[in-house]
Parts: sequence; structure tokens; C-alpha cells
Amino acid sequence: MNDQPRPSGPPKMPSSSTPASSSTPANSAFAPPSGPPAGASTATTSTATNNAAAGVAVPLTGMIAVNGVSKFFGSVVAVSEVSFAINGGVTALLGPNGAGKSTLFRMMCGLTTPSRGTVELLGADPRHDRSVRGRVSLVPQQDALFDHVSALDFVTVAAQTQGVDSPVEVARWALEQVDLADVGEKPVGQFSKGMRQRVKVASALVNDPEVLILDEPLTGLDPVQRRRLTALFHRLGDDGRCVLVSSHVLDEVARLGSRVLVIAQGRLVASGDYRDLRELMDDRPHRIRLGASEPRRLATALVERGLVGGLTLDADSVTVDTNDADAIGRALAPIAVELGIRLTEINPLDDDLESVFRYLVERR
Amino acid sequence: MSTIERPPAGVNRSVPPGRALAITYRVVLRQLTSRGRIIALTLLALVATVAGFALGQGDAALDDAVQLIASLGFAVVVPVVALVFGGAAIGDLRDDKTLVYFWLRPMDRWPIVVGAALAAMTLAAPITLIPVVLAAILTGAGSGIVSGTLIAGVVAVIAYVSVFTLFGVWLKRFIVWGLAYILIWEGFIAQAGPGVARFALRKYTRSILVDQTGADLDLADFSLVVGIVVPIVVAALALVVGAWRLNKQEID
Repeated sequence: MNDQPRPSGPPKMPSSSTPASSSTPANSAFAPPSGPPAGASTATTSTATNNAAAGVAVPLTGMIAVNGVSKFFGSVVAVSEVSFAINGGVTALLGPNGAGKSTLFRMMCGLTTPSRGTVELLGADPRHDRSVRGRVSLVPQQDALFDHVSALDFVTVAAQTQGVDSPVEVARWALEQVDLADVGEKPVGQFSKGMRQRVKVASALVNDPEVLILDEPLTGLDPVQRRRLTALFHRLGDDGRCVLVSSHVLDEVARLGSRVLVIAQGRLVASGDYRDLRELMDDRPHRIRLGASEPRRLATALVERGLVGGLTLDADSVTVDTNDADAIGRALAPIAVELGIRLTEINPLDDDLESVFRYLVERR
Repeated sequence: MSTIERPPAGVNRSVPPGRALAITYRVVLRQLTSRGRIIALTLLALVATVAGFALGQGDAALDDAVQLIASLGFAVVVPVVALVFGGAAIGDLRDDKTLVYFWLRPMDRWPIVVGAALAAMTLAAPITLIPVVLAAILTGAGSGIVSGTLIAGVVAVIAYVSVFTLFGVWLKRFIVWGLAYILIWEGFIAQAGPGVARFALRKYTRSILVDQTGADLDLADFSLVVGIVVPIVVAALALVVGAWRLNKQEID
């Protein structure tokens, strides 16, 4: 087993203190991350950079430090050579279902061992160092609760197992944080999916964690609760805690914060500011299907104006590849009017997160 | 939503073993207490009581009464009930993925395993001991069979529950493996001879019964001390291994 972390490279992301309006170009921010990404402290970044320049393999450090981590299940590679380090604040881990987010989280919490590489939480091994477990909280993805007990009892048990002094009082406080104080006496088995999610979040707050790892915590929540929980995560992050939240929904990530780690097919394919990711989504090649009464004439006009890089013609539509979807959007209506063509469909075929992940993976 | 972000009480970031054991015991006991499970297992155990009553209505010999208790009470009722509760003590937490709420805590592993096993024993003991001891009484075969059944029953519950708690920690299909142990190993292979039988808990409970009654039973030639001590040692070892295994376990 290779426990050697891979060499650290120059930082790809602005530190947490970097202004949101950082002018870092999208493509430099969203490159395969080899250095400390979002939240990495200045000191950490500097050390990593200097040592990388000297050709010395130095582990990344941070409240969460993941160095060259891989996880294999037989011949299946769930996580491959992932390295990053993060400190206080909210960081989003974005990736499609099955990308390896939960496996990565399980390794971070010590629930499973990496096949290669090392994970450190607050400078300790989360699997073998008992003391660190009291400083960390995990909201697992699975909808698993003790269904026979009330929400208050469930969170009280969480407080008791964390060594909290006044478990019931703290449990009430935690339920209040997630707007469940009024229904604390009801069995969690009767709760909706969103309420159960909030119970899990409440139970993760009881130990005043320095590191809070939340696996898809917003799933099943209504928009109001989603907004409130997101605000709670931000307040916790602003308080100096390391809050790592996973999601496969881009809009959620937009609200979670500017710092994003993107994982796809088990690899960390990008890390950087959310706005850079958004720009990348807009700037990458797009494929759009245009339904029209005369697709051949429409295709010719688009080619003549240099708006498309390639196209495929069908009986009633033309599918175009373009690097500038906005330009096509602006030009389509005038062209249709000019040529007397009736437009029946404008359908972006790859305007989803999956295609962005695919693009990032292929680009590596 | 409140703007308070810190809990209104101190956090020790460590849970003493005794407290961890008590918390685990309470939670697991509650999780195991399902009405359907308790009714079904009580009905199973009452079969022994009914059989003891039926035997007691005739002119039953002591050997027949002891054979009934040994073959129905200690070969079926106690092991099966212990398997259901002992295996589920940790196995159910693992299956429904709630084990993480104990595992990812600043607690030692052994109080989790011991607390869970004690919770399983708390339920298994009355469900098995009361009907089986009642069966022994109803056979009318004297006081020796009653005391023997009681001692053997307590020892059997402790040993079987502990072993099956280990099964629940280690094996995904703990019920299947547990039934295989009860039916194939103890019920078939261990009958082959005294050498193999010493690796079956059943031999020790039978030995206790024979020691207390003087009845003539096969594969029951250990002394009372051995009949008690060995299963208790096995139980302790099972829990130690269970704690070790839980520490090594990959948790979902």
C-alpha cells in the first residue's frame, strides 16, 4: 500500500480571504487540483508551493487534509488519487450520484480505510484516534434513524454519546437550530424526509464540532428549509468551523458558497470558486437542437455567420455544436425572421451537471 | 431560526466506558423491543412449557424429563431466542446503518458490544428462562431438574447471546450463520462424539442438567464447574473479539 502523498503543486484556488470578485481565469481555477484548494490557509499554501517547487513531497495540511487517497472495492475504483486540504468556512463537494462523494466522506470520518493515501482530520487519524471523533460530526447520506424514538430522544442520545454535559438541554437547542423544537416529542418514524434530514443535522450540532461533514443534507427539504439550513451552514462556517457539504445539484452549490470541489468518476476533477465553475459551464462547447420548418436553410445561415462548429441535420431539426450559446440565442430569432423560417424547438442537449462533469473528466 | 451557534452546555469530547455502556444498553434495548418479535419468540418458548406439562401428566421418568428440557429447551428455544436478540443487537444497527451513531463517537468499542449484548440478554432471559423452567416444574420430576434448568438456562443465555452478538458484529447474514451453528454444528456434527461435542455449547448445558439431576444423557460428562465456567469464558471471549472486530469494521 502506498501511503506516500502525491507532491503538492501550486494553489489553484483563492484562499478563504480572497475577495469573491477574484479575477482568476476560469480555466486556471478549474484545472485538476494538485495544490491546496478552497480554504487552505496562506501558510499551508505557501509551504506546499515552496516544497513542491523544491521537488519534495509534502502532505497538504488543513482541518481536513486528504493526500493521494484512493479506495478500491475489488476491481472497482470508487475514489482515485484525490488530494485536497480545507480549513474553516463552507466548502461544497459537487459531483453526480456515484461519483465517490460518500466514499470520500466515509474515509474522512474513518468509517472506512483508504486503499491508498492518508486522511487527516484536525491533524489526527479519524479511524484510530478516538479523541478526534468528539470534535467532528457527520450527517450521513442514508436515511437511517432510530425510528421508534422521538426527535428529542434521538438528538439527546447523540449528545450523550458525544459526552455533552446537559444532553437534553443541548438537544432542545439543536432542534431549535433546525426549526424542529415544536415537534421534538414526535417519533422520527413519523417524520417526512426533510424533517428527518433536519434531525440528522441537529444531532450533528450537539458536540459543537470543529469539522462538520454533511452528505447531501439538503435532499428532501422544501425551498424554505433549504435556505434556512444553508444559512445555518454559513453561520457555522463564518464561526471558523470547517463545513464540508456534498451535493449533486448545482443550484444547491450556488447557495452553499463560493468554494467548490468537483468530483466525478472518483477523481477530483476541479476545485475553485463556484463562479468559475459557472463560467466554465457557459463557456464550454454546447450542443443545441433547433427544431425548424426548414432546418437545412437555417443550418446554412448559421454556418455562414460562423456561429456553429459542427452540425447534424434531421428532417425537422438541426443539432449544432457551438462554443458560444449566447450568440446563437441572440442570432436565432433575426435569422428566422429574415429567412421566414418557423422555429419549433430550441433544446440544449447538454445543459446539465452531468455533461459538465463529463467535460471536466475528458478535459483532464 | 435562532442565531445561537454554540450548544448551551460543555462538551467533554469523551464518554467514559460505563456511560457508553449504559447509553448503548438503553438504545439497543429499545430497538430490540418489537412487539411482534417478542410475541413470536414467547410462543416458541411456550412450546417447551406445553411439552413439559404434557409429560408431567403421565408417569414421566426423570431421564425423559431431562431429555425434554435438554432437547427442546436448550437445543431449540434458548439458542434460537438468543440468536434473534443477540444477532440483532449489533446486526440490526449495522443493517439499518444506524451503527454510525455509535461508531463515530468518542467512545471505546467494548462498551458498545457489551451494552448491546446485555440488552439482548435482558430480553432473551425472561422469554426463555420462565417458560423452560416452568416446563421443568411441570414435568414433576423433582427439584434437581428445576435448579439444573435454571443454572443451565442462565449460563446458556449468557453464552449464546454473546456468541450471536459476535455473529451480528461480524457476519452480514448472522441469522443464517446462527441457524447453521445451531442446527448443523450443534444438532448434527457435534453429536458425532465427545471430541467434537466439547466445541458445542449444548454439551455444557447438558452437563449442568446431568450434574443437578443424575439423569442419563449422552455427551454430558463435564462437571458443574466446567459446565458453567467454559461457557462464561466463551461468552467473554466472544465479546472481546466482537469489540476488536467492531473496531476494524468498515461502517456504512
